Amino acid sequence: MPRFHALGFGFLAPAMIVVTLFFLAPVILTVFFAFTNMSTSTGITGGEYLLTQSDLRKVKASSVSDETYDKLENAGYVVDEAGLARLVEARDQATADELATLHGGAQFSSRRDMERALKDLRVNRIRSTRERKALAELFTSSVMDERFQTKDEFRAALTAAGIPEADQRILVKVAYTGWVWTTENMKLLFSLDSSWRYAMNTLFYVVLTLSFNVGFGLFLAISTFYLPPTIANTFRTIWFLPRILPPVLYVLMWYWLTWDTGIISSFMSLFGVAPRNWMLDTATNAWIVVILINGFVGASLGMILFSSAIKTIPASMLYASEVDGANRWQQIRYIILPQLRWPILFTSSYQTLSLLTSFEYILLATDGGPGGATEVWALAAYHTALNNYGGNLQYGLGAAYALVLVVIGIVTSVLYLRFFNFKDLVAKPRIEQ
Amino acid sequence: MQLRLENFTKTFESLTVIDKLNLTVESGEMMALLGPSGCGKSTTLFTICGIHRMNGGTLHFGDRDVSDLPSQKRNVGVVFQNYALYPHMSIRENIAFPLRVQKLDNATITRKVGEIAELVHIPELLDRRPAQLSGGQQQRVALARALVRQPDVLLLDEPLANLDAKLRLEMRSEIRRIQLETGITAILVTHDQVEAMSMCDRIALMKDGKIVQLSEPDQMYNDPVDTFVAGFLGNPPIAFLDATVVDGQFRVGDNGIAISDALQPKVNGQVQLGIRPEYFGPQFGTGMQGQISFVETQGREDLYNVTLPNGAVLRSIQPAGPRLKLGDTVNWGIASDHALAFTPEGTRI
Amino acid sequence: MTSNFRSLPVITLLTILSLPLVIMYAFTLVDTVTDAEPGSLIPSVFTLHHWRFLWDDTTGRGSVWIATINTFIFAGSTAAIVCATSLTSAYALSRLNFPARRFFLAGVIILHAFPTITLIIAIFLILQFLGLFDTLIGVIMVKAALELPFGIWVMKGFYDTVPWEIEMAGVQDGASRFMVWRKLVLPQVQPGLSALLIFSFLSGWSEFILPLVLAPGSDAQVLSTYLAYFLLDDSLEVDFNLFKSVGLFYALPVILIYLVFQKKLMNIYGGGSKG
Repeated sequence: MPRFHALGFGFLAPAMIVVTLFFLAPVILTVFFAFTNMSTSTGITGGEYLLTQSDLRKVKASSVSDETYDKLENAGYVVDEAGLARLVEARDQATADELATLHGGAQFSSRRDMERALKDLRVNRIRSTRERKALAELFTSSVMDERFQTKDEFRAALTAAGIPEADQRILVKVAYTGWVWTTENMKLLFSLDSSWRYAMNTLFYVVLTLSFNVGFGLFLAISTFYLPPTIANTFRTIWFLPRILPPVLYVLMWYWLTWDTGIISSFMSLFGVAPRNWMLDTATNAWIVVILINGFVGASLGMILFSSAIKTIPASMLYASEVDGANRWQQIRYIILPQLRWPILFTSSYQTLSLLTSFEYILLATDGGPGGATEVWALAAYHTALNNYGGNLQYGLGAAYALVLVVIGIVTSVLYLRFFNFKDLVAKPRIEQ
Repeated sequence: MQLRLENFTKTFESLTVIDKLNLTVESGEMMALLGPSGCGKSTTLFTICGIHRMNGGTLHFGDRDVSDLPSQKRNVGVVFQNYALYPHMSIRENIAFPLRVQKLDNATITRKVGEIAELVHIPELLDRRPAQLSGGQQQRVALARALVRQPDVLLLDEPLANLDAKLRLEMRSEIRRIQLETGITAILVTHDQVEAMSMCDRIALMKDGKIVQLSEPDQMYNDPVDTFVAGFLGNPPIAFLDATVVDGQFRVGDNGIAISDALQPKVNGQVQLGIRPEYFGPQFGTGMQGQISFVETQGREDLYNVTLPNGAVLRSIQPAGPRLKLGDTVNWGIASDHALAFTPEGTRI
Repeated sequence: MTSNFRSLPVITLLTILSLPLVIMYAFTLVDTVTDAEPGSLIPSVFTLHHWRFLWDDTTGRGSVWIATINTFIFAGSTAAIVCATSLTSAYALSRLNFPARRFFLAGVIILHAFPTITLIIAIFLILQFLGLFDTLIGVIMVKAALELPFGIWVMKGFYDTVPWEIEMAGVQDGASRFMVWRKLVLPQVQPGLSALLIFSFLSGWSEFILPLVLAPGSDAQVLSTYLAYFLLDDSLEVDFNLFKSVGLFYALPVILIYLVFQKKLMNIYGGGSKG
């Protein structure tokens, strides 16, 4: 018996590895990422310790003692190896050597004193006051603006600068440039006005597109059903192509249809209408285009499913209804539509989920424009985390957006289980070895 | 080779389907496992070939204990109801498959396939595909494939169920011929009493996971252990009457039937009488008066149902002759030597 | 259907509704080999000028041939991985006895329904961790993984139609379960396998979001991102004739495969599948 366990597991193993790595891990990590402040600036691995002026301003308002603040802000100046090396960079070796002989190892409490020391240079005179000011900064002994790789190094530097232990903890926290755990994303998610706008956009988009998909898919399936086979197949092919064509090419066609150099503009110019971008000129037009682009693709799926469902209706049933005197509408209403109940339910539930989460066509078409009018939730997640004009990609916040969809996805998928006759599905293998 | 199943128990989930069943099939014997659907006959067959595992008991082929062996090592040939021919292989490849698995050399395989094809009369079909064959031909191929590696036991799972009536008759004798020629120990699973009676040396009649009676066909027909066996065998079926033993007679309503000498000392009070159709008719005198309530003509024979005044129904089968009509009143007799008596619970007296 | 109803009004209505699509298809074909007078839509000159991207890099996006080879590798490998993996695991789920089988089956159904695109952010970060970001191999693995539940589901459906008796007979004939699978069952699901292979290949060929996000550089670019670059880069001069030529070049294999294997594919598209 164990031999066959081995075969079963052996056969499953490759799938399990791939699915775990690129499927289950992402689900779990989406949750984790949603509770971090990961972004381009924090990086995704560990960070360093870097105390900046703005960090200092942040802590001043809160809990750090004035003395500490003062020490950090007005740290002294030291003519040491590191500072001299920086001077070589900024000016030249001779200047540095002269300063070293004059003031090597000297300490100054204020910048003015440091500048005065620089004034002492005779051979390599620094004439401009502004330059002296700038060069004085090279000798700052502060922990400010200096990068520390580890926490211990940073703490050691703070201690050396005479910062009390009590304040160090807060400083370590602000100075850390890597990512940290936070619930901030969740709070943000529910407080941002834009979140609610994305949610409303998504609702609007899903409801309208879905109605179009199902309604138009039904229309295509039923109308082609009544046509002679060759004509029906021609129309079905026309409407099936959007599904087969690569999305990028399909959207390109829409560009050509709607842009200011496209066919609608060219055609309308015959009637004196100035060319314009019909896809992006107004929010209304943008929505119409987005819904049509998705709707045509969705309708073709509906068309296929509904068509095959209609084909399973026994012809005798249709003949009978005609003999009974039903006209075409009555035949559709009383014979065909009732047969399509399950396919319609299936298509709707399946497409709801896919419309909620996919953003491929919107991204290609309007990219959420104009002015965020067609920005749906999934696209917002993408823009926040993976592509925005600001350049600072907020992985954490984006993951929080995505998490909402992941949760919806999991709940719906589990519900989906109920669609199946699970008992049949897990029927015991009939060879009991 | 003798097949011995001892204390065989099979459970599915928590349901015990077969509890401590014992069955011995003698070497060279053809045994029928007969019973209504759900009686456990297929489960028994699948266990013997190793597709199902035993939950208890042992299975021996001769002296070899095969209880825990997987199918591959049991050396059992099986003919499935739908033949299970491999559709992507030619007939030759189908028959050769068990030998290929054993990694025999090509010459041996060709020789053995040729021999077995001769035996089952299909040498001209070897290069065709299963889909090109008729049902009867597929059946022959399935037999050839099951027999080609000379199994210890041949199992046949409802082999005739998928054939039309005419082919069924032909294959019945063919399977028996091949079994006798090879001398193989065989088990036939079927729900058709005619198949079981005409093809097999002995019949094990099963019900609810138990063997109710195991005997030779004619004995089972003439000497059933209970009403279930009596009712399962015979077509048209036996008729049962509730009777009371009064004054040395079986009283059925106003009618009386003589009690045979053999039964005389054993019966009293309430009994169930089993009367087969061939033992009720005018040729047996008179005694049972009733009305014809059903007539069916079968060409060679006529079939009558006679409803007695108390509502009980007797069946009669008679050579085709002057036709009686529905509603006619008749007074026919019963061959009392052949009347079977059962207790009210159904056990044979 | 039946002759009791007239079909002319339906044909007229369908024709009007289909017009935009037909115009788009027609002009996509025509515009790639013609030029029109400015402001006019009617083509007047035949030219192969729009196909210049095939031999010189006028686009600033690298050679289209590299992208084509990448797309072949991408679509081919994902299809191969999906098929090979679902071939074995679907058989295990359909026919083999092993602990926690129920759990795995439920898992496949749930994963099959799950909208994978929501995972893109986490996947992006995982690839960064693994050092597979902006590599073809990374996108291939991801695409294969996301397509896999669907593949397993489809293959399981095909395995389920193979009669149990075939396997039982094989086992009786002395073959091991592995051999039964190899020699007796695989040939029966071969049509299903080729349908899945074609379907996964097309799906990989058309994939856009994964390469866009996970392999944005020009080394690993595929034709979808190559073409999308024209659409998404605002600084580029709009030249629809050129864009359409690239698009047609990109879609040609898809259209050919569809025309040849139409019947096979319909099985999968119509089978209540996702995609």
